[in-house]
Amino acid sequence: MDEVRNVIELKDVTKDYGDFKLDRVSFAVPEGTVCGFIGQNGAGKPTTINLILDVISRDAGEITLFGQSVDRNSAALREDVGVVFDEMGFHEFMTGRDINIMMKNIYRNWDEAAFFENLRTFSLPSKKKCGAFSRGMRMKLQIAVALSHHAKLLIMDEPTSGLDPIVRNEMIGIFREFVMEEDHTILLSSHITGDLERIADEVVFINGGRIVLTGNKDEILEKHGILKCKKEDLPGISESLIVSSEVSSFGAQALINDRASAEKLYPGAVIEQAALEEIMIGYVNGKR
Amino acid sequence: MKGLILKDLMCLKKQLTTFVYVMAGTVVISILYVLSTRYGNLARVGEQLLDQNNGMSRVDVKNLGSEAMVLFMFLPIVCVGDLMNVFVADGKAGFYKVSSSLPVPLYKRVLARFLTIYTLFGLGVLVDALLAVLLCSMTDIMSLGQFLGVIFSGASILSIYSALMILYCVLLGYGREQYAQVLALLTMAAAFVIIKFDSVRFFVVHVLGDGVGFDSSVFWKPLDFIREKGYVLLGIAALVSVCSYLLSVRIAERKRGVI
Repeated sequence: MDEVRNVIELKDVTKDYGDFKLDRVSFAVPEGTVCGFIGQNGAGKPTTINLILDVISRDAGEITLFGQSVDRNSAALREDVGVVFDEMGFHEFMTGRDINIMMKNIYRNWDEAAFFENLRTFSLPSKKKCGAFSRGMRMKLQIAVALSHHAKLLIMDEPTSGLDPIVRNEMIGIFREFVMEEDHTILLSSHITGDLERIADEVVFINGGRIVLTGNKDEILEKHGILKCKKEDLPGISESLIVSSEVSSFGAQALINDRASAEKLYPGAVIEQAALEEIMIGYVNGKR
Repeated sequence: MKGLILKDLMCLKKQLTTFVYVMAGTVVISILYVLSTRYGNLARVGEQLLDQNNGMSRVDVKNLGSEAMVLFMFLPIVCVGDLMNVFVADGKAGFYKVSSSLPVPLYKRVLARFLTIYTLFGLGVLVDALLAVLLCSMTDIMSLGQFLGVIFSGASILSIYSALMILYCVLLGYGREQYAQVLALLTMAAAFVIIKFDSVRFFVVHVLGDGVGFDSSVFWKPLDFIREKGYVLLGIAALVSVCSYLLSVRIAERKRGVI
């Protein structure tokens, strides 16, 4: 069997801002997958992305992209990376044509025909100033740019936030099409877990600058569950199984981290499948 | 890197349009000026100044004429060579995020900004040189060599200013471009005072103060310098640009995300 190649790899990466610390972050994104990078606002998602892109310097740890260290090599490695930010970043007076002129003189693999084809596919006018674009169009423009230099890795920071469900759905379709190629990989940072549940293969969950959960999305969903029981039964549940719990006048429910064991130990309990959002909330609340 | 220079030039599209108008205006006014110094009212004023026995020589009158020509030569370069709008536009758009995700190393991103300014000065110098050829065929106020000296002096002074402005913009970050402009001007003024301390003190104490040291050469010395010794300023400009570039790269490397 072929060995799985990691496109992104972080080992004990630390960045200390004083009031916020990214603490010994380690995770890997295997080639050909969509990795959902989730966490609440302020958890450290953009900081991690900036570290991967070598936009900011780290205090400790190792980061590799395509198997190569980003140190002193990041610019060349970025040739194969398409980046989409939560805000457009292009000047408002620029048109698609202007962006094409700029990018074809920057990227070695810039494909002019593919860029204009992408603009047509995304219904973006090439002669209109991008300042007049809606938020959805601005995000699509960034994706069009990211897809036009034959990038193998897309790194996206909250690309679907603030978009209506129709555009979000359209964008997820674009991401799905991108990962059809087996060497294409996506790191998708978002706090909209519903989108990730639909598209992600892997999940990395960051909270307060620390990775609290990482692995295959389906395995994570299968492993976790919501155990519902009477208030008085809750203390009888093994603490090692409970991530977080909530007691209301109707009863109690707990997010558990080993559904199979819980089902064996407490055959009478109702255990439902947990959604990614519930898992995220559970871990955030459990840590508080 | 070429793409970033093109992007910077796109940011200056409006400024370049203004440059065309300024250039057209400068050509018209300077031709009218030259014709007037030869055949019109300015020629008559020159003759009157010589007749008044106020100590002015023919050289002084000619130098007076040159002062105006220097202004005409400086105008297009001043108009074309202001990079502030690029920093303002980049800051407003948040372009630093995009630029730091591009496959362009930091030192090239900084270099692109310096090359933008030299491209603009190159354009200004070229257009000015064509104007100089035209003007020196119509007047003997300045020779072509002196015209070129003035043009290169102007471009050198402004490129010193621009190099310092880029350095301060990188140091202070986006949104503080006006402070960078003021600091660049103050640095240049301070450097001038330190280098020419004796001359400045003499000018302030004797020429502006008691008037004892007044001599027309006080005014014509700087004029002679920029007409005849433009290469000195060019050398200083090259040195300042290299130092400013190296410092800017170092600061940008430490701060990250400022260019």
